[in-house]
Amino acid sequence: MNSPLSWPEDAQGGVLGDGRYALATDRPASVDELLDRVRERVGQGCAIYPQGGRTALDYGGEPARPGSALDLTGLDRVIDYPYADMTITIEAGMTLAALAKVLAEQNQRVVLDAPEGDRATIGGILATSASGPRRFGMGRPRDQLIGVSFASSSGELVKGGGRVVKNVAGYDFPKLLTGSMGTLGVITQATLKVRPKPEASAIIWAPLDDGDALERTLERLNVSETRPVAIELLNASAASTIAAVADLPVGRFVVVLGFEDNADSVDWQLVRARQEIDSSAMAIARDSASEPIWSALVEFPALAIGPLSFQANIAPRSVAAFVERLDPDRWRVKVHAGNGIVQAHGLGEWTFEQAAAEIEPLRAAAVADEGNLILPRCPTAWKTRLGVWGDPRADWSLARRVKEALDPLAALNPGRFVDSI
Amino acid sequence: MASTGIAPPRIAISPRLSSDLVAALGADNVLQRPEEMLVYECDGYMVERSMPDLVVFPTSTEQVVEIVKICNRHSVPFVPRGAGTSLAGGTLSIGGGVTICLTRMKRILEVSIRDRYAVVETGLVNVFLTRSLAGTGFHYAPDPSSQGACTIGGNVATNSGGPHTLKYGVTVNHIRGVTLVMPDGEVVETGGAVEDQPGYDLTGVIVGNEGTFGIVTKAIVNLTRDPEAGRTFLGVFDTVDAATETVSGIIAAGIVPAALEMLDNLMIQAVEQAFGFGFPTEAGAVLIIEIDGLEAGLDREARAIAAIVESRGGAVRRSISWRTRKEPEYVAIWKSRKSAFGAIGRLSPTYCTQDGVVPRTKLPEILRFIVDVGRRHGLRIANVFHAGDGNIHPILLYDERDPDQVKSVLLASHEILDKCIELGGSVTGEHGIGVEKMEFMPKLFTPADLAAMTTLRNMFNPIGRCNPAKLLPGGAGCLEKTGPRRAAPA
Repeated sequence: MNSPLSWPEDAQGGVLGDGRYALATDRPASVDELLDRVRERVGQGCAIYPQGGRTALDYGGEPARPGSALDLTGLDRVIDYPYADMTITIEAGMTLAALAKVLAEQNQRVVLDAPEGDRATIGGILATSASGPRRFGMGRPRDQLIGVSFASSSGELVKGGGRVVKNVAGYDFPKLLTGSMGTLGVITQATLKVRPKPEASAIIWAPLDDGDALERTLERLNVSETRPVAIELLNASAASTIAAVADLPVGRFVVVLGFEDNADSVDWQLVRARQEIDSSAMAIARDSASEPIWSALVEFPALAIGPLSFQANIAPRSVAAFVERLDPDRWRVKVHAGNGIVQAHGLGEWTFEQAAAEIEPLRAAAVADEGNLILPRCPTAWKTRLGVWGDPRADWSLARRVKEALDPLAALNPGRFVDSI
Repeated sequence: MASTGIAPPRIAISPRLSSDLVAALGADNVLQRPEEMLVYECDGYMVERSMPDLVVFPTSTEQVVEIVKICNRHSVPFVPRGAGTSLAGGTLSIGGGVTICLTRMKRILEVSIRDRYAVVETGLVNVFLTRSLAGTGFHYAPDPSSQGACTIGGNVATNSGGPHTLKYGVTVNHIRGVTLVMPDGEVVETGGAVEDQPGYDLTGVIVGNEGTFGIVTKAIVNLTRDPEAGRTFLGVFDTVDAATETVSGIIAAGIVPAALEMLDNLMIQAVEQAFGFGFPTEAGAVLIIEIDGLEAGLDREARAIAAIVESRGGAVRRSISWRTRKEPEYVAIWKSRKSAFGAIGRLSPTYCTQDGVVPRTKLPEILRFIVDVGRRHGLRIANVFHAGDGNIHPILLYDERDPDQVKSVLLASHEILDKCIELGGSVTGEHGIGVEKMEFMPKLFTPADLAAMTTLRNMFNPIGRCNPAKLLPGGAGCLEKTGPRRAAPA
């Protein structure tokens, strides 16, 4: 796209990520002001780069053309919290930690276990569809969102869904916006389902040294008598880091089960799960003792260790074999094993050639499994050559038409999502 | 009974259309004699009827593509249809055209217990999927009351719910991907068996499209682990208010029941006459309260629920402790609930089932309002609904031979739905907008919201030939139009 604007040389106007600077940063204090800013900036030929807590500025492809940052953190109010209805409506710039605090007053919570909750905003979590270990038992961000308002690139406020837990009137914009990386609209407000906080919580930490037993163990857990809300798998590198938070034993692999329910149920599950897993050195953490482990599991994707991180999305049955391929001296790996989501951080120094030689066959394996492999973190210079999102999928021509219909000027977060959309 | 509103005039059908369809599908898969097509002139929403010109029964995605291309060649609209259980006229063949009935596409193509999904053709009847999974320890969670008849495709179209959505979510929470035949015949596969796919959640927005984006021929669905055990209670109350307060009390206690269903006195009488389960016919309301999960955790929740029921002046009259959902007493109580609409036939020759949603704390208010509406219009209104979700289903009893009663039913329905909006709710929790509720869309959504929805619909369905005149009122330019779109049937 031809743009009369050029990239700023310095960070005076703010930062966009990937070494790019913003022409300006707008931080509206109301939705009306936000709409005005969007109209104004788009009218000037600017692209709009929505930002929340700036925890994911380098996530995705490079910003494609000069534009302004739109900082949502000035919109951080609770709009409506009818706690007995188990819903809450908030502005999108509210942080996850602030939301958790509001909900805790009613002994409730929202099932969005994204990392860096003191900075990460609800809008950002929804736009990136950031999820955590509890997705196994409690669903993804898309499953928590029942209503959304967003600013279109023409500066109109659009809403979809509503404020009641069950509602099929109109098209499901909440689903379409979740995970759309800010490329279809700027999320300004969200209505979320909330849940009562569980009475009890526990972690089973089960080191396994026999790689061959890994898939057998995961397969058995898939049909466990228990009902874990999380089934996580760590390689030795991840296990040793997380073990340090609670003085836990380490193995070649560690399977972590998370339970949350009433106390009687959690007690029973701990007994039963120990019978189902064949591990010599199992450890158990209950309630407050489990919190640092839960927290370490949630924070794992945000670790910034080496220059490179990947996420492979594959079938759960393929997890064990996939993880076996990864050298624990080169990769720190944690897997949502029940969902088939492998998160890995590269360790130590990497050249581009080394990275390409590792990533390409792993991606091919994921794609052969009808999955994919994305790069949540890598040096900007590698992004195009390695392909942050992999090749677009078969539905991409339709997705592109959705983008063209809802953001005809291609003003929203250009360059950052699949196929540099 | 025909629609007398401003529905588009019937299109002229060329005889070549029929011969082209017969050539593509075989004569066995094409209906064209009016007497054969009677059942297709309406669905579960019987207030309006419109006979399609032809009804076709494809047996593969390729045949659906072929049908769509033939319809386009002849400039004829087409409407996808499953079992025809829609309660909002979503499958009505407005202005005629071809009804594409998917009920012969009913294969289960793949089941993976290890990866917790199944791939099915969308003409598959909902309950057949769960039945086929018996013994695996898994089931397909969405269980609309019509699950014995309705198809997975229909569930996808309307994003159906059911009694167990309170804990398990609605259809969209259980669909990982679909195969969509677009209105021009292009086939798109969205999502997949692998949970996260970079790109837009097209699956999420296709679910609930009510057939206005195209025809979904396959779906990849989640399989959900069976609960180990459950308890199902019959709570009996003198008043509807006491029952709704109990619902709030249970939720406030931090319990998320698997189901919380309420029947009012009129409904209790109908159901008891029909099934004789043992509902107390003198009660003001009953609640079916179900918790499920691990046996070890249930006793404590059960005691807590009993205490809440009693503290609101109610009594737990039955307590069913079950290990599978096949136990006779369990089956009996749910048969009573899920067949409640049918039981109404004993009270009245015709009835209109409404579908509205309010925040659950507003249930007492909307129920009092419904009583008032019934009194003002001289109508009997029975209530059976998903109390935990705030999803009400008032059933308005009337005699369709009396035009005054028909008019009253429409007026009363509108008043109830307007009140749902006023209370911060919605005009449909699970049945869809269809033709029935289009005029409410401008009350729920702003012109900008509707314009965005229209833009999306036009992207999928630019000529508007696929399921025309549904869901969105008029074109984007007619959003300001108010007043009833269709007159009452005479």
